[in-house]
Formats: sequence, structure tokens, C-alpha cells
Amino acid sequence: MPQLPKHNYYEILELPTNAAQHEVTTAYDRAKRTYSGENPAIYTVFSDSEARELLGLIEEAYSVLGNKTLRSIYDQRLLSSQFSIDDLSYSSILGASKQYYPEPKAEMKRPQYQKDAEFEKEIFAQTQWDGPFIKKVREYKGLSIERISEKTKINPYYISSIEKMEEKSLPASVFVRGYVSQIAKELGLNDKLVADSYLTLFKKKI
Amino acid sequence: MEFEKVKPSEKLAPCIWGVSSGKGGVGKTFISTSLALTVSKLGHKVVLVDFDLTGANSHTALGIDPSHMNLRHYFESTKSLEDIVLNTPHPNLQYIQGFWDAWGPVSIETSHINQFWKDLKNIDADYVIIDLGTGFYEHHMNIFKRCDEKFLITTPEPTSIEKTYRFVESLICSTLKENSTPDAFGKLMYVLRDHRQRILPEPFSFKKYLLGHEGFIFDHFEQLSKKPVQLIVNSVRSPQQMELGHSMKSVACKYYDVSLEFAAAIDFDNAVWQSLRNREPVLVAQPFTPLSGQFLSLCKHMIDPEELRAVV
Repeated sequence: MPQLPKHNYYEILELPTNAAQHEVTTAYDRAKRTYSGENPAIYTVFSDSEARELLGLIEEAYSVLGNKTLRSIYDQRLLSSQFSIDDLSYSSILGASKQYYPEPKAEMKRPQYQKDAEFEKEIFAQTQWDGPFIKKVREYKGLSIERISEKTKINPYYISSIEKMEEKSLPASVFVRGYVSQIAKELGLNDKLVADSYLTLFKKKI
Repeated sequence: MEFEKVKPSEKLAPCIWGVSSGKGGVGKTFISTSLALTVSKLGHKVVLVDFDLTGANSHTALGIDPSHMNLRHYFESTKSLEDIVLNTPHPNLQYIQGFWDAWGPVSIETSHINQFWKDLKNIDADYVIIDLGTGFYEHHMNIFKRCDEKFLITTPEPTSIEKTYRFVESLICSTLKENSTPDAFGKLMYVLRDHRQRILPEPFSFKKYLLGHEGFIFDHFEQLSKKPVQLIVNSVRSPQQMELGHSMKSVACKYYDVSLEFAAAIDFDNAVWQSLRNREPVLVAQPFTPLSGQFLSLCKHMIDPEELRAVV
């Protein structure tokens, strides 16, 4: 039977409380190698089931100490005497970390838009993809320039320039092609078709 | 800028290192002679004492002939300890020959051992390195416990590891026996046997037990961890075997509540047995091998762990 107080992860990994993060990892690797498999070092001292139990503790200790956020919460609780043993358990620390660092919010939903069968047909049949038409599709799908920019990381200034087909305010056409194809993807269009067609019109305009 | 270094020679008593093991044949004599040679090469005055009561053979490892002048004369009170210190061909290194002409089991009384220890402390040297036999012999353990630095030798073989743990157990228990009342110690033995059979209701911990029960002087147990036994893994043939030292350290910490220190892993080297045949210490025959490097870094660390150095 392991004789360790279940709550002290530092004792389980045999580390001082001020150990650096890389030392935690090294200690974990060593402990894992010691108590798993056929290591002769545990022979006649720990039975298989005891070694497995220790290994479980070691994994638990590392899942807290190996994670900077969890470790800092654990350290705070360990050092201050206000917390009981229950507060030092893995689940309690994991719960606390979610309070301090809430999980990232779910992605913004795509805005709903009114389906217009006729316009859908028009999009489907469209072969001449110029700026104004892209703008039209964008507005039809209810997406603002900012929203597209946020998603594609393209400067909103370029997006509006692409819609206006202002070659002077746009970079070399190879970049424009990339932008257009990304915008098209974001709008749920066939990006290759749109980019090809846009670039032909764009070059004609120059 | 000059730093003033406190040399061990300015201290009154020499620093005594003891070398023992759980199993025989793991290289106690090789390690102790190599330690003695390395420390003497570092410029300290060393006396190597062959105290293997099961048969002295440090002289063979040192490549010198056994001497008539040996520990028997000392224990028979015909000579003083200074008289039996012999010179060796190696600079800074002197040597006390072990029992070689006893023609039978050596019997020494504990009072003799106490006197022997006192005389060792008065010997003119910086370091005294004692090559003890396996630790299950009472006198070996008695001396081993008193040493300033205790070296425990093991090899990566399971038999040797197993006996090393038994050695640690007997080291703990003989320390506890001296520092407890007979009643309390007897009870502890019962609990330990149950612990081994895994029939205790709750996990056993030496620390918890000693603090919770009367009749023990807990400080001595703590002392064991403060000045940990130095574990040396000898004849290492692969990096996995080298890792064993860390594993054994961890097991000792978890199972016995005592700390071992993993001092060094010594490579297996065919030159060791070959040079032994030629009756020449391997560190003298081949002073620039990785093997001697391992001894050098071990000794430097033991002599002055704080000293900063880039390599070796």
C-alpha cells in the first residue's frame, strides 16, 4: 500500500515545492518508468497492484503539477492553511481552474438570413463574379465586412476595395486572388470559380 | 582574487567514508580502491582500510603484496593503528591491510570496534576509506553506520537490488534498535512483518509509526535522511540500467521513508577485470577512460559539492 498522504502531489513526485516546470516533467518520467512495466527496482518491495496504484497517483499528480494553471491553484491552496484536504483533490482544483479561466466561448453563430430562391438561382448561375456582385452576395447572407475580416484576417479596407474593384488600393494580383478565394469560402461559394472569374475581370479593368 | 579554501587537513579528524553492499561480488573492493586512488590523485592524503572480515583483498586490487603487518596485530593489541599503516606505490595513498592470517573466523568485541573507531578518527589523513564486507555482518554494519559518508554499492541485477533493499531494511532497523526501548522495538518488528505480508489495515509509514508510538528517539531516524546513504550502481551496461539509481531512490523514499542519494553510475568496463589480472589498478593503467572520469566527478562532488566546475 502506498503510504503517502493522497493530497500531496509534490511528495508523490518527490519534488521540492519550488521545483521548476522541467524538473516536474523529469520527475514524472522517472516515476513512470519506475512503477510501470517490469522495472527490477520495485521487485520484492511493491507488488503489481501496488505499483499500479502508485502509477495512478503519479499520473494524477502530474496532471496537476504538469499544468501551470492547475499547479498555481494547487500551490496557493497548499501554502495557505485555509483549505481542507478535500480542496486539494484533483476534481476540486480542476473545478477552480474553470472558474478562474472559463473555457473559451462557443463560436459566434452565423447570422440567419432570409432565403431568396430567385437570388440563390442567380448565384448558382453566375459566371461573372465582379466586386459589386460579391458585395451583393455578402449583404444577402447578412455578413458585415468586419465579420468577414475577423474570420479571414483580411484587412477590412482590402475587402471593401475588392468589392469596389479599386486596383490602386490593392496589393499585387496574386494576393488579391488569395483574398478573393478566402472571402468566397467564407460566403459559402465555390472559391476557385469565384477567384478565377474575379481575377479575369480585375485584370481586364487594369 | 584569491579564495581561501578550508582544507580537510586543517580539520582535526579525517573524513571517513565507508563502502558496503547488500550482495557480495558487486564491486565493493573495486569501488573503494578506485575512490581511494581518485581522492589521493586530487591531492588529499588518503588511508584505505581493508575491513572485510570475510576475507581481505584490497591489496590485490591495489596491486601490492599482502603484508604481514595487518589488522590482526592491532586487534590483538600488539601494535597501534599508526604502526600498521603501510605505504603504497601510489602517492598520497596509504593502506591498512585487513585480516589475512587469522586462519579462521575473526572474532572482535564491540568494545574493540569502539576503540578502533576512536583510533581511526585520530589517524593522520584527510580521508579514510573503509572497504567493508557485506552489511549483514554485525561489525560491518556497526562501522558502516558511523561513517561520515556511506556508500552502498549495487549492480543492476535483480538479485543485487533485492539484497540492497534488505540491507537498507537492516540499516534502518539496527538504527532504530539502538534508539528505542526493547518493548517498542519488538512491537515494531511485529508490525513490520505484517506490513511485509500486506495484512495491515492501513498503509504503513515509518515516520507516522515512530511519531505515534512511544519508546523511540525519532531524531535518529531523521538523521538517516539528513545524511543520506550514497547509492552507487556498478557495472552499468545501458542507459536504462543507469536509470535504476533514480528508481531505487524513489522506492526507498516511498517504502522506507528514508532518502538514498543516487551518487553515481559506474560503467561496465572489461578493462577492470583485465587489469586486475595484471595486478594493476585500472585507474592507474588507464587513467583517461570514461570510467576514471566517473570516479573523478563522483569524488569531486563528494569532497566539495558546492565547487563550481564546467566539466568533470
